[in-house]
Amino acid sequence: MGATQKSALERAIENPQPVAGIESRSPVDGLDRRSVGFIDVLSQSVSAVAPSAAATTMPLLVATVAGGATVWALGAAMLLALLVATTVNQFTRRIAATGSLYTFVAHGLGTTASFVTGTALLVGYGFVAMFALGGAGYYLAILASRLWPALTGSLLLPVLVILGMAAACLVLLARGIRVSTRATLLVECVSVVIILALVVALLVVQGPALDWSVLDMSGVRPADFAVGAALALTAFVGFESSATLGVEARRPYATIPRAVTWTVIGSGGLYLLAALSQLVGFASVGGSITASVSPVNDLAAAYGIDALGLLLDVSIAASFLACAIASITALVRVLFSMGREGLLPSAFGRSHRRHRTPFVAIVVTVPVLTTGLIGTILLTGSVWRAMEIFIVGAAGGYIAAYILACVATPVFLWRIGELTPWPLVRAGVAAGLLSAVLVVYLAVESSSARFAGVWVFLAVMLVGTVFAVVRRIRRPWLRDTVGVYDVPVSTDVLGAGLAEDRAAP
Amino acid sequence: MSGEAGDLRARQPKAIHSALTVLEEVARCGAGVTARQVSDNLGLPRATAYRLLNLLVQDEYLVRMPDLRGFALGRKVAELAKLVAPSRPPEAVRLIVTDLRERIRGGVHLVRYDRDGLAVIDPDPDFPPTPAAAGSRPLHESAMGRLLLAEQRSPAVTEVQELGFARHFDAVSPGSGCLAVPIRDRDGTLVAALCLAAPRARIEQPGEHLVLLQQAALTLAPLLA
Repeated sequence: MGATQKSALERAIENPQPVAGIESRSPVDGLDRRSVGFIDVLSQSVSAVAPSAAATTMPLLVATVAGGATVWALGAAMLLALLVATTVNQFTRRIAATGSLYTFVAHGLGTTASFVTGTALLVGYGFVAMFALGGAGYYLAILASRLWPALTGSLLLPVLVILGMAAACLVLLARGIRVSTRATLLVECVSVVIILALVVALLVVQGPALDWSVLDMSGVRPADFAVGAALALTAFVGFESSATLGVEARRPYATIPRAVTWTVIGSGGLYLLAALSQLVGFASVGGSITASVSPVNDLAAAYGIDALGLLLDVSIAASFLACAIASITALVRVLFSMGREGLLPSAFGRSHRRHRTPFVAIVVTVPVLTTGLIGTILLTGSVWRAMEIFIVGAAGGYIAAYILACVATPVFLWRIGELTPWPLVRAGVAAGLLSAVLVVYLAVESSSARFAGVWVFLAVMLVGTVFAVVRRIRRPWLRDTVGVYDVPVSTDVLGAGLAEDRAAP
Repeated sequence: MSGEAGDLRARQPKAIHSALTVLEEVARCGAGVTARQVSDNLGLPRATAYRLLNLLVQDEYLVRMPDLRGFALGRKVAELAKLVAPSRPPEAVRLIVTDLRERIRGGVHLVRYDRDGLAVIDPDPDFPPTPAAAGSRPLHESAMGRLLLAEQRSPAVTEVQELGFARHFDAVSPGSGCLAVPIRDRDGTLVAALCLAAPRARIEQPGEHLVLLQQAALTLAPLLA
């Protein structure tokens, strides 16, 4: 470009042209817009996955069905999760919202599909929150009864612990997004460090002669491998939850996709390492992982590092607590979106003036979840049984929401004129595999001791969808409001202020 | 975070060139241009164009319009331009300012105002303004900034109405001061200012310096407006 002839960019900067259609406030105004950085966004996704709790429990669950293919099944699940993550990221790179997949699907498949996704997502976040709160209570109760054996077996203790933690969650969540993400980050870091220390300790005690026969796939039926991979996928669900911070994240189109991808890679790496170390550990002490109830504790005892078991319980409880906070964080932001759109009462879309959090949604959600959890515990008579029901329902909810998001991706890209072959292929493969996983998972679980979870999941999905559809018939204007997202405001756009000035009298 | 600059490698000059071309194209077409139009206009492969557009949106040089299809230039583009030294004023202007400097003891700077704030376009070579004085400070902490605030009817600045110029003391160092005489176009819009940086005593009693500055401001007005 010559000195006399200015480039279009120079002219645009020197003399910005008015840009119409940019408002001074976003429709999801009221939250702490553009306030948290990459670390907070990452900690939201990581905590919702709760990798350290899953790393101690998942290898056992997968090993009982997949046997020698455990590590491979975990690896396959990680690849599938990555496929889903990159597909979901087609949305997170283009839409910043608080409704996550619920909002995304609205822009691909329309209102009805969006309601189904919303219900599935609420089931996922809500059930995982109850599962995690229950889990934290369960492990803290175990810890307490180790120290004071008189407390063993009482239901009152975990219930009291759960009530205490629910109150703590309520305060943290209401105080502001930075407070809650920083708290979960701290808690999650502590528990991941403890798990990694245990894994390394096991491998070091093991010495250089690792028993690689645990990777032997021969004698594993393909069906068992598939079931193992389906179960293993449930260890990853929640990785997309940072998408609910679309309004609050700084540079959301960069940080959220990055957080989603790295959560899958990081937690997948941890699972593979944990599974390998546990299998190798059991192979060398001559036992079997499937005969153990709490494999890491048993391994630690077998290697004479019993005290680590105590540490482990603390770390799992911490990870569960972080998971509960992160899941409720995501849940209330989906409710906030629904409140703003008119699907739920508008009070859900109200934010706290000072803390800039979806206050009403938090105040309603936490007591409802706590009541549901304690009710289920009392009904089933055991914390563990209640947790099993919730985790099955949650996994179903997440996977159903992922399927719809994967189907919606190419439609959305086509609508905005940005469809290319690769995202289409990835979305298609992911949707197909996920559907297979969901069917396999529900089939396996419905014939297991956790069958109640499948029925609860299906029932809640049905009720939620019917409610949403009835709501839609009563309020036909919802089709225009659903899918609310953060739009650039006039301070973000060069020349948008000009249009405003001219419009003003 | 390392990701900010860490992803950039010298081996990718072509990608950077393409990104700037995309930015240029959005500027040329105006707000609302779609990804497909950019790709067609530039003859870039679709996937490449979409990826570049999304990268520029990630870094906020572009924004996606509320309809999710169109793109517009982000405010960050103007910030980027601010970092680049502003263009030199015409020679006629520089001659007048140089002449003024020979008759005044102290730093004389010429400042231009536009939509995005102020820029020192002719700093005194003998008394260069500190980086802090040249616009990176809060506006009310320099005479040139206070002039702009007065123009925006800020209640924090009252002396411009009374005196006809802005002043501020002890900004760069104790005992120093600066004043800014406005240069206005025929409509009375503030377009530029002559700033004097000198010891506090001289700013408090500017005397004939003020007269010289005000005369020069009148001469400069038609050249800068």
